[in-house]
Amino acid sequence: MTAGEVQRAEEELLARARSGDREAFGDLVGRYQDTVYTLALRLVGPDLAADVAQEALLRAWRALPRFRGEAAFATWLHRITVNTAWTLRKRARRHAAEPLEGDFEDRGLLPERAGELAEVRAGLSRAIAALTPGQRAVVVLRDVYGWSNAETARELGITEVTAKVRLHRARLRLRSLLEAMR
Amino acid sequence: MRGLFCALAGRVPGDRPAALAAHRRSCLRCQAATARDHAVRRGLEALVDELAPAPPGLKAQVLARLGRQDASDPRRDLVARAAARYAAAAGLAVATLVALAAGAARRHSRALG
Repeated sequence: MTAGEVQRAEEELLARARSGDREAFGDLVGRYQDTVYTLALRLVGPDLAADVAQEALLRAWRALPRFRGEAAFATWLHRITVNTAWTLRKRARRHAAEPLEGDFEDRGLLPERAGELAEVRAGLSRAIAALTPGQRAVVVLRDVYGWSNAETARELGITEVTAKVRLHRARLRLRSLLEAMR
Repeated sequence: MRGLFCALAGRVPGDRPAALAAHRRSCLRCQAATARDHAVRRGLEALVDELAPAPPGLKAQVLARLGRQDASDPRRDLVARAAARYAAAAGLAVATLVALAAGAARRHSRALG
């Protein structure tokens, strides 16, 4: 199948799913569940990632009729996943009475549990996991997924200045963490 | 990450790219640190192609929970947060204006009395 054929097949699936075809949406879930889960895993860690992925995909289903294709479907799904991750992370922290961001990240992303991502980048993944949730979100969206500062700020509900400051601090911390691992 | 990494960091003006570049050309420590930073950035960019497999039951769970499509805003929490922020700012502005007006009225009545 050529890239054009793949694209057309996906557009057809999207059109069917938009009009309520569950089977078509199931095919789309099959195509995108790994990317959604991976992003969730990077943002919130393994304890919450499956819940975030599931909720994000359900939100996408509910909202599909309003998807007009201005952005790629994957980009749209990523935005929903980021928003869902942020919401569920806050809810989980509130319900579990976890008082500190640092406390949250340390429990959820112990180095030995970060092995779900490829081993080749294990050091980098461990370093990312050791960042605060706010820093991690910014560095993942900017440096891994290539989002702009404006887009990152908008989706995280923060100002661009805050996004830039977090990114700067995150990169500095990543560097020192990686140096400490060597 | 484009700054300087050695003891000269505070002495080379950060707002002069030519001066920074000249320094970097002659400083092995800064060259090594820059190379490490580039490696980190390349590593981060490469992560985008790595996928963690979703849990086996994820698709089935999603399909089992599909409800009605209502075209709801999937990012409503973000919208709600922004609305709450604007409402708080507007409330603060109104309270400030009321306080200023009350102060002005009090001064005015004192001047009259």
